[in-house]
Amino acid sequence: MASEINQRNRDLASLGEDYATKYGFHDPVDYFHKGARGVNHEVVEMISKMKNEPKWMADIRHQALDIFLSKPMPDWADSEMLAEIDFDNIYYFMKPIKDQQKSWDDVPEYIKNTFDKLGIPEAERKFLGGVSAQYESEVVYHSMREDLQKQGIVFLDMDSGLRERPDVVKEYFGSVIPAMDNKFAALNTAVWSGGSFIYVPPGVNVTVPLQAYFRINAENMGQFERTLIIADKGSRVHYIEGCTAPVYSTDSLHSAVVELVALEDSYIRYTTIQNWAHNIFNLVTKRASAYRNATVEWVDGNMGSRLTMKYPCIQLLEEGAKGEILSVAFAGKNQHQDTGAKMIHAAPNTSSRVTSKSISKDNGRSSYRGLIKVHKNMPGVKVSVECDALLIGEEARSDTYPTMEIDHDQVKIEHEARVSKVAEEQLFYLCSRGLTEDDARLLIVNGFMEPFTKELPLEYAVELNRLIELEMEGSIG
Amino acid sequence: MSNKTDTKNSTSDFSIPDLAPELLRGPNWLRDIRKKSRETFNNAPVPRRGLHLWRYTDPGKFLIDRERVLDTDYGENFNAVEKIVQNHLRQGNLSGVVTDLAGRRIDFFGTENLVAQGVTVLRLSEAIEQHPELVERYLYQLVNSATGKFEAMNGALWNDGIFVYVPDGVTVEQPLHLLRESGLGGSVQYPRLLVVVGKNAELTLVDEYGGGSTDRDAVASYANSAVEIFGLEDSRISYVCLQRQASGMNSYLTHRARIERGARMLTMPLAFGGALAKQNFGVQLNGRGAESVMRGLLFGSGHQQGDNHTLHWHAAGETVSSIDFKVVLRERARSAYTGLIRIEKDARTCEAYQENRNLLLSRDARARTIPELEILNEDVRCSHGATIGPIDPNSVFYLQSRGIRLADAVRMIVSGFVMTTLTGLPENLRARINDFVSQRLEQE
Repeated sequence: MASEINQRNRDLASLGEDYATKYGFHDPVDYFHKGARGVNHEVVEMISKMKNEPKWMADIRHQALDIFLSKPMPDWADSEMLAEIDFDNIYYFMKPIKDQQKSWDDVPEYIKNTFDKLGIPEAERKFLGGVSAQYESEVVYHSMREDLQKQGIVFLDMDSGLRERPDVVKEYFGSVIPAMDNKFAALNTAVWSGGSFIYVPPGVNVTVPLQAYFRINAENMGQFERTLIIADKGSRVHYIEGCTAPVYSTDSLHSAVVELVALEDSYIRYTTIQNWAHNIFNLVTKRASAYRNATVEWVDGNMGSRLTMKYPCIQLLEEGAKGEILSVAFAGKNQHQDTGAKMIHAAPNTSSRVTSKSISKDNGRSSYRGLIKVHKNMPGVKVSVECDALLIGEEARSDTYPTMEIDHDQVKIEHEARVSKVAEEQLFYLCSRGLTEDDARLLIVNGFMEPFTKELPLEYAVELNRLIELEMEGSIG
Repeated sequence: MSNKTDTKNSTSDFSIPDLAPELLRGPNWLRDIRKKSRETFNNAPVPRRGLHLWRYTDPGKFLIDRERVLDTDYGENFNAVEKIVQNHLRQGNLSGVVTDLAGRRIDFFGTENLVAQGVTVLRLSEAIEQHPELVERYLYQLVNSATGKFEAMNGALWNDGIFVYVPDGVTVEQPLHLLRESGLGGSVQYPRLLVVVGKNAELTLVDEYGGGSTDRDAVASYANSAVEIFGLEDSRISYVCLQRQASGMNSYLTHRARIERGARMLTMPLAFGGALAKQNFGVQLNGRGAESVMRGLLFGSGHQQGDNHTLHWHAAGETVSSIDFKVVLRERARSAYTGLIRIEKDARTCEAYQENRNLLLSRDARARTIPELEILNEDVRCSHGATIGPIDPNSVFYLQSRGIRLADAVRMIVSGFVMTTLTGLPENLRARINDFVSQRLEQE
């Protein structure tokens, strides 16, 4: 017991040191008491002061807060669930420290079980459970950083990014997703903290995927992280955020903003596997700008959270740009995955493809909400959209709301969607070959997800399959 | 004054004043509903732009100034109607024509045989007196002030309408043709139709909307129509809604049908005219084995704007629906299509299909499509698809290489595109629609 308390105190103390050296912040415990729930200009000012930010960033924050306060809540997607969010009851900055104080015993049983079943080591579990920010792969992280630095790649948390590369941040921050974009993007802009900042120099090919997993060991991931990735001319980068284990937090709201800038001939792939605990509202804005002959791919998996509203977007701004969005959503009991894809064709000879797969189980609800926009005088545009939904359980719900706005005639747009349950004849066939009904169902679900899983690095694919297996457990009454 | 309605003008008052005495005649229940509809309309906010069904159309276009909303002066625009009626009757194959002038004057031609079969074809005002229970049971059940602001507007203001009742077991062999003509520029009309088709009965209805101002730059004519159709058990209904309004006309139409166990319904929205036409077609499948098919066509040219919605609402299990909605656009025409399939939790073992194909014949044409699904149980088979694109240049090239002129090649391809939609229509009606298509392809 005593050692536990000591450890906790050490954690807190080390955090204090961290802030003291890095941010000129001297009194974390005191601050913790001062940090009030709710958001207002004082809180924003405090965040900005503590980070010792340049004035222009503070101004952006304050403006964004006004926008947040003036914008109404979305009256679409799931207004009933959204109404549950109590903005006044949320800690907008101090939450991570509070998390540090939590003990592993407070982490819900089902999350611990998932860790066990996924076979994640104890230390990592604690980290992912939001309990401790320390663990042994720190070394790995550092060696990886050195390797990247040699190539000139900048891979930092967003706060450090702002300190070390203020010019680049100033140029691109909010250029893809302005605070005006929507209520939650405005909130994020006002109170953002953490997230990744990546700059890949011209012609550099980052051969290993960059993973937030390594970065967040050193820097705690906030509820309002802000990520900015810039791929300079002819460079290639693959970024992976999140992990297949559930991220546990007592906070009710996670609202990130992710901006990607793919300059000429570059390639960015951004892979997310979101597996928040089932009490989280996950309201995320993700958008990419793709310039001449650049390619952007969003690979987006949503398994966790209570309500997710996330519609990754690619703006194809110059000729030859390509966009691809591949998304899967799994809505289990009491979950609503409101996800989708947006493609904005603002240049000729651009092409895009959207593949969306969703599974609704028990009383889960998954919605596809998409937009395809082709501006005037854009010859040579090609678009295809495919949505598949699988329903498991009598109360499962699936919605499809695709929107296609086409202002040019020489363009071929195709959209297709299918909704069905697991086909009886497939089950029958597999069972006749000696599989149990559970196994047969799992096999069919895995097959359904395959176009997604095959795009993941092997270890993620394996874990995702295991995760689906867990979600599918006991799917037959 | 152009035909634009300026909703931002703060001096404009779009409320409905106290209802005129002739609208308050009839039984108490009707009077109450009219008054309530008026209140609902006056209190309901104008639908917000950006909100779902209003994303592409300005609701202000369907608001009428308080001074004008009760206007009964619809002008003399009906000289041609008599000729059209005679033409229809001469071509035969009809079980009668009903003319509806500006939702106010309703006349019947050649419907004697129908009446002899026991079919009731009456003015709504007469039906309320002669069949009070029947009308009370069905009128306002599907389109009412709960449906929306503009449905409340019709509910308060319809002057007279058409009532058709086909008793159980009666098959009406030939189509009944309804001819609804709107008045000249500035006129306002609120046509209403109530159809009840009894158990195991059969009816084909052609509901043709025409007339209106021909002057795009004058004040527009305005029509706000409501259609309610009930198909009782095992009934078979074909409903063709042919819209060929003149170019200075803004129209709003809400159609709702409810079909019971084993009933089959074919709904065909065919839209060619008007400056702005917003139409909403919905079928509720309310009993096991009910089947609904919709085949729609919008042909737009010039500056025409079409905004169509379809709804297939599976409220009962073992029901089947399909929608095929085609759009052809020329010049600067615009189309928005939103189609929703909703399958309720208890509606198990349903099948629903939806297809929206858009053919763009010019650079300036614009199409929007939102095919939507809301599926609340697992035991379904559902799919939808949408395409937007130009004529396949390979097809044109092939036809040209066979010596066919470009214009003819385009006409052939468009005819082929719409042909599948038109199959099943009575022969002379199909010929008329084909003529509409060719005329619109040729006009400059």
